[in-house]
Amino acid sequence: MGLKGGGFERKSKASGEIPSSSMADIAFLLLIFFMVTTVFRAEAARPIEWPSAGATEQIDEKRDNILYLWLERNGDIWINDRLVPMADVATVIGPRWLESGQRLIISLRADASVPYRFVDLVQEQLKRSGAVYVVFATELERRMTGARR
Amino acid sequence: MAICKMNSKVSDEIPSSSMADIAFLLLIFFLVTTVFPRDTGLRVVLPEEAEEVQVSQRNVLHLQVQPNGVVEVRYGESEDLQQVPASQVQSIWRTNVAENPNLIAAVKTHPDAPHSAMIAVLDALQLAGAERISLQLLEET
Repeated sequence: MGLKGGGFERKSKASGEIPSSSMADIAFLLLIFFMVTTVFRAEAARPIEWPSAGATEQIDEKRDNILYLWLERNGDIWINDRLVPMADVATVIGPRWLESGQRLIISLRADASVPYRFVDLVQEQLKRSGAVYVVFATELERRMTGARR
Repeated sequence: MAICKMNSKVSDEIPSSSMADIAFLLLIFFLVTTVFPRDTGLRVVLPEEAEEVQVSQRNVLHLQVQPNGVVEVRYGESEDLQQVPASQVQSIWRTNVAENPNLIAAVKTHPDAPHSAMIAVLDALQLAGAERISLQLLEET
């Protein structure tokens, strides 16, 4: 090959095409990379009935800065898969509030039918811990279904 | 031997050139179909502890949420209560805030009222654009 074309072609021995046989490996590598690095929330969801509200808005905050506080129908509080007594909520959340640089948002996931006395106690605890940014977790109300009925 | 070769015209190798397309197809399929759970809710900012602001009763609209979901509306200093469903709170707030821009909504919820009853009132207020909202526990009398 080199001899046939003369001295000039001897330099370009490399193929001019991009090798496509390794493309699959690259794609699978990407696939596996994102599969491995994706971290799903490890926290298990508590069985609650979500309240719904039309003014529901999305929270644009880093996942790390959102703390989920589950409040069940009987008044049980769960934080990070642990049952926390009402009186200890402030001591659990206080360090997290400071850790986050006072940006922590508490997503209060309270059952729709939990008596308000528990919600009020939780709010008192949150005030004590300093965490003042609270979101009452709700589902967006579907007004269409109401109209259809 | 020669006959054998003639019969198997089809290549016995799996074509690897389309493997990249399959892999990218998978990649794009999962990229498109993945739905991340978004956090949604009603935002409030709690007052800091021992932060007590004295407000004139004239600027307060009391909304008392009862266990059955009925809202009792009381204007400032007056004693008479007006019972309305939570769905009317929005229009009540709008008419009142038009008269008095400094109005504060004091949502007082009965201890036995369900959380959703308070959410319904808070929702109505936020839909009406209220920003000065105070969440309290209704003292039992």
